Amino acid sequence: MRHTLFLFRHMWRAEMKSKHGLAGLLLFAVATVYAVYQVVQGRPDPETWNAMTWVILLFTAFNGVSRSLEEDRPEVLAYLRTTVNPIHYILARMMHHVAILAGLACAVAAFMGLLLGWATLEGARLAAFVGGMALTALALGTTLTLLSLIAARAGAGFGLTAILGLPLVLPIVLVSTSLGDDLIRGVIVSDTAIYFAFLGVLALGSGTLGVVLFPYLWRAS
Amino acid sequence: MIRHNEPPSFAVKAIRACGLVLLAYTLAMTFLVPLGPGLDQVEVLRSQITEQGGQYELRIAGLGTHFSTSQPKVFITARNILDGEQTVLSATHLKVADDTHLLCRVRLPKVVPAMSWNVYVNGAGDGTVSYANGFYATGLEAAPKSGLKDDKYVLSTLQEADLPFHFPFQPNIMESIRNLMLHVPMWFTMFLLMGISFAQSLRVLRLGGNPDRDRRAVAAVKVGLWFGVLGLLTGSLWARWTWGAWWVDDPQLNGAFVTVMVYAGYLVLRGSIQEPKLRERLAAVYNLFGFLLLVVLLMVLPRFTESLHPGKGGNPAFSSYDLDSALRAVFYPAVLGWMILGTWMYAVALKVERLRANLDEARTHRGSWRAQLMIPALLLPAQATQGGQLEALFFADGKMPVVVGVAVIIGVGLTVWWAIHLRRIRQLQLAWDALPSTDTTSEADSQFSDHTPLQDADTTNP
Repeated sequence: MRHTLFLFRHMWRAEMKSKHGLAGLLLFAVATVYAVYQVVQGRPDPETWNAMTWVILLFTAFNGVSRSLEEDRPEVLAYLRTTVNPIHYILARMMHHVAILAGLACAVAAFMGLLLGWATLEGARLAAFVGGMALTALALGTTLTLLSLIAARAGAGFGLTAILGLPLVLPIVLVSTSLGDDLIRGVIVSDTAIYFAFLGVLALGSGTLGVVLFPYLWRAS
Repeated sequence: MIRHNEPPSFAVKAIRACGLVLLAYTLAMTFLVPLGPGLDQVEVLRSQITEQGGQYELRIAGLGTHFSTSQPKVFITARNILDGEQTVLSATHLKVADDTHLLCRVRLPKVVPAMSWNVYVNGAGDGTVSYANGFYATGLEAAPKSGLKDDKYVLSTLQEADLPFHFPFQPNIMESIRNLMLHVPMWFTMFLLMGISFAQSLRVLRLGGNPDRDRRAVAAVKVGLWFGVLGLLTGSLWARWTWGAWWVDDPQLNGAFVTVMVYAGYLVLRGSIQEPKLRERLAAVYNLFGFLLLVVLLMVLPRFTESLHPGKGGNPAFSSYDLDSALRAVFYPAVLGWMILGTWMYAVALKVERLRANLDEARTHRGSWRAQLMIPALLLPAQATQGGQLEALFFADGKMPVVVGVAVIIGVGLTVWWAIHLRRIRQLQLAWDALPSTDTTSEADSQFSDHTPLQDADTTNP
């Protein structure tokens, strides 16, 4: 755990050193929300609002995970391979992605609220919706981390991550959109617990799979 | 060692022969076993509403029934809204037009216990056939208690069915129930092949090394995808004429689509990596990740949602209601037969992969190299179209043309597959024979046997 946290801090520091990466992601999210705002002109109906929010989050997530870090340079990777346990590395990488995606989810939610309103959400249901977005970010982050590493290893970037990842995250998106739909239609928060449980199980499952399978990717040849 | 020259053993040949026999049995039974009798349509021809109540003249159309010889009795039933008690009413003035059409009248009081009635026809030989909610008593008021005269005694005078071996009649599905033997086993076979691929990918990661394991994995995926696409196409055709659209929003369909996409992604991933060792390992990791996640997503998620497919929305198993003994007697052999065919095709695809790999290897030594990239075509059917002629064509004969269409799709699909692969094998073998000297062969082989122990040593020490 100590090693994982160290690696995580290291990645974060590398991220902070060149802030344009994060700023670019944020700009992408905000610009997308703004484009949607321009297209729908004002307040969209709740279903459209729900769909837009999740689709924007999904695309932001793909952008977020398929970016290569400074330490993905071959020399740095070669060094890390000799010094770092792959399990610590993938865990740190997942934490890093989940942190970025959770931040982006909050930013998307905030800008959607600012520009397009909150549909019918308020109070506890709004909190549950944002919580659902964060949990979706967790599930997406754990699932897409391994896939983006496979794509990076194959020498391809965003395109391959999307091809490999989109079908696999589609069910996650289905769960999230039905959660949002239920909350918008006024279902009480405790009745949507099943969606949260499902997202949690998915995050846990894909995280475990990633940890089990990543060591095979890590090897040099 | 060049393994592609080994002839299949006797046991393998025997199993394949069994598979062909099972498929022949399946096809024969699918098309020859008659469908049981059933009701196709109930129409209200005329209705007369007075102070005393309503009188309705119904025209009942059957399918495969024998009204003119079976001395039919018609009765309607409805379940009381309040106490759930069943009311039975006999119809009068029966007029049999022909074997599949009859006219009758029912009389209802002004206040009836339920608006919607199930229509039953009972006759010698055919037994009881029904049409749920076939008759809607418009113009009358519904009330929980109505003092309706009840004809429950009809239920005790029903005649037994005396039918040959037949498939059960289901309204709306009708003859297309035969598709169960054609469409459903496509998915079973695909899952078997993806399972084989999963096991081989597991071996690639656990044992490493031997490129043959990777070839097995990719051959299984390619054949499995072929079956998956055939399943999608046949399912799409069947859905159009039972659910009214080429594609509907249904967890089963989403699952099928996602599966096909994931394995298409697997092939794209393979196509985008040049280095064989890296490709082998990355593809195996993605295969395992994808398969396990698919199991979670497709086995767990659909249980929370409603589906148009039978047995879904809770328990994805065949209930006795959906699958009666006649269907079972054909369905299980059908699944086994298609699976054996699937594994046979897997063996052929594997042979192609091996031949191609050997050839590429031999050519690499001579300095020429050819990349192989396969992008599977994905056909996404559009929404329902309104074609009057198509409509008439596919609804004719109790939707029998749907079964023929499904069989044609599968037949054409599999024929194309075999034609492509047999031709490919011939070409590759010709190309192999045309290679100039014997040196290249031994070089390629020595390379195979060389790195197996090396890689195994590597795996034990991660």
